[in-house]
Amino acid sequence: MKTVEFLMLVILSVVTVFAIALWVPGPPMEKVKLALAYGGLVLLFLFGFLVLAAIASNKINISQLLEEKGTGGASMGRFQLLIFTFVIGLSFFLVVLCECKMPQIPTNVLALLGVSATTYGVGKGIQATTKDGGGGGQAGGGDNAQHD
Amino acid sequence: MHTLLVLARWEGLILLGGLFGIILWKLLTGGISLSYLLDGDVRDPDSSTGFSTHASAGRTQALMVTLFVAGYYLLQVIHNPKELPQLPAQMVAALGGSHALYLGGKARAILTGR
Repeated sequence: MKTVEFLMLVILSVVTVFAIALWVPGPPMEKVKLALAYGGLVLLFLFGFLVLAAIASNKINISQLLEEKGTGGASMGRFQLLIFTFVIGLSFFLVVLCECKMPQIPTNVLALLGVSATTYGVGKGIQATTKDGGGGGQAGGGDNAQHD
Repeated sequence: MHTLLVLARWEGLILLGGLFGIILWKLLTGGISLSYLLDGDVRDPDSSTGFSTHASAGRTQALMVTLFVAGYYLLQVIHNPKELPQLPAQMVAALGGSHALYLGGKARAILTGR
């Protein structure tokens, strides 16, 4: 992200803070709280929006998100980790939306994420071991490459 | 304070939904490549690189189990969004077994050949 864009984000947030602090009626402490909360909300939204716009327009390149380095093939370890991260992230957000509180995370869900991340890690380990042995598959279009 | 809460909800929904949407869109349009997802490598002395590619049963079953568990969990949350649901221990064990099978097959294929 360019410095100009970042500065604009900060300036917009500060303007929001001052606008709330000046025009919203109420006791001073309440006004400060509201102003900071709205300022943070605006800053977070604009920052997130810029990142999403950059991803959508390929300024931030995620085309190799599931690819193993140096290969043309997708990695099963990365793919399943992506799926579980999305599913549990979305579930967490839905529960927070409905209950307006931080939910307890069941141990089985943590185990699920652990299994998923361990699979990815061990897969990388196996691949690294093979590379040490001088190997390299032809997957992904004939390069010296192996799938995760 | 109520307006702030509503705004925060919408903000989270837009940002999270936007991120999921963009990644899903890129997956569907090929912006993020899924090619060779079900292919594995096997040590092959006849190949110039020492390895050859083949369709992998281990990867296929790992993908199916992963999609099943993820779909099951998502359905549970949609049915009761008041709390994060418990997963049956058997299901976590099945997922672990499936991934162990995939990793074992991968290690065997790469290190010793078929």
